[in-house]
Amino acid sequence: MSESAIITTNNVNLWYNGKQALESVSMKIPKNKVTALIGPSGCGKSTLLRCFNRLNDLIDHVKITGEITLDDKNIHESGTDVVMLRKKVGMVFQKPNPFPKSIYENVAYGPRVHGLKNNNQLDAIVEQSLRHAALWDEVKDRLNDSALGLSGGQQQRLCIARTLAVEPEVILMDEPCSALDPIATAKIENLIDLLKQDYTVIIVTHNMQQAARVSDFTGFMYLGKLIECGKTVQIFEHPKEELTENYITGRFG
Amino acid sequence: MAEKFHTELQNLRKETLEMAHMGRDMLRTAVDALIRQDPNLAGSAITRKVEIHDQEVRLEEYCYHLIALNQPMAKDMRFIACTLKVINASLRIGRYGKTIAKIAQEISDKPPIANLMSIPHMADLVIEMVDDAIAAYESDNLTLIEGFSARDDTVDALRHSIFREGITYMMEDPKNISRCTHYIMVARYLERCADHACKIAENVHYMETGERIEIK
Repeated sequence: MSESAIITTNNVNLWYNGKQALESVSMKIPKNKVTALIGPSGCGKSTLLRCFNRLNDLIDHVKITGEITLDDKNIHESGTDVVMLRKKVGMVFQKPNPFPKSIYENVAYGPRVHGLKNNNQLDAIVEQSLRHAALWDEVKDRLNDSALGLSGGQQQRLCIARTLAVEPEVILMDEPCSALDPIATAKIENLIDLLKQDYTVIIVTHNMQQAARVSDFTGFMYLGKLIECGKTVQIFEHPKEELTENYITGRFG
Repeated sequence: MAEKFHTELQNLRKETLEMAHMGRDMLRTAVDALIRQDPNLAGSAITRKVEIHDQEVRLEEYCYHLIALNQPMAKDMRFIACTLKVINASLRIGRYGKTIAKIAQEISDKPPIANLMSIPHMADLVIEMVDDAIAAYESDNLTLIEGFSARDDTVDALRHSIFREGITYMMEDPKNISRCTHYIMVARYLERCADHACKIAENVHYMETGERIEIK
């Protein structure tokens, strides 16, 4: 990968209760590109994703070694503000999880937590975030309605808008379409393509066709190791590693 | 489901090989008919035109169905891409066989000039190339196609030689013009068949390695 990297992992190992889940993972995440992580269940792709904003810190008995840098700064350095890290590295989960509040309040929540009180500025951020998430036209006339009344696809785009509202640099997506129908999935995929103009996106997906459609780079993981990482077209057309070849052609996994 | 898909791919390979052998046999039969001046033998190649065309349509559709239903990747995708080329090349080889067979019928009542020049030898070389290309597709054995560039050069040189020889005989006696023109055309068709064998070889190489090569 010759593109400039926004995140770099160097020899990262992770253990849950002494059981190793990541083994010597070294990779670079290029800026303003979509990187997909694929691999069979339990291979460590979600674990790796959660390393990028230190979500694994919330789990007991986790040990991490190695180095992860964001903008050339080690995110495990003492004194790292984890709240600020998670502001810079936002996350969208598998199942849409809007707060039981209005559509407006869902998006305004993050900026408010970070101290923004000016209503005009909040209005502008909510509109801009909803526009970036391709949801504005569908909800602009009912911003005060409950977010729980939106469809699954709309809820997921609302969660993306909520992530965008705090102006992250990187957006992590953990199986963002697995609970959505094909039309809602297509909308999210189109959105991912638009988002990379302004953000770096890392997506974990078990759907290889989705990885092939939306990503510029793909990493294949197996048993906690990063087996191969490269341009998506190379990985899906002629992978270098036999293990990758066998996985993406369905010969195992 | 992956197992079912891979069984389907094996079946696709088997049926494509049958078609490739049909195209190759049409060419061999046509050249034999030309050599033996046997219009009935030529007719047996001509009548297979419809059959090979139907095979092409059916196998292409088979490939498209497999792509639409399975979204193949990596080697599976390259195999289907290669198979589509083999199908097309086999049809072209078969159709050149049919065209040569028609020439064989047309000139079967006239004595050959200069023992058909180098056409029998050229045909043997071309058909060997077709055989090796098909065998490489069947067995994933790239050593079979290693010398294709040099073999194609030899075929090109023979076509040129037949062209010059044909012109010479035509200048000697205008009665030769019709047969020599046919010989020159047969040489051209054989050269095209060698090009299709090269095209199959290039695609087998891509199928196996993921890298494109050009056989010149």
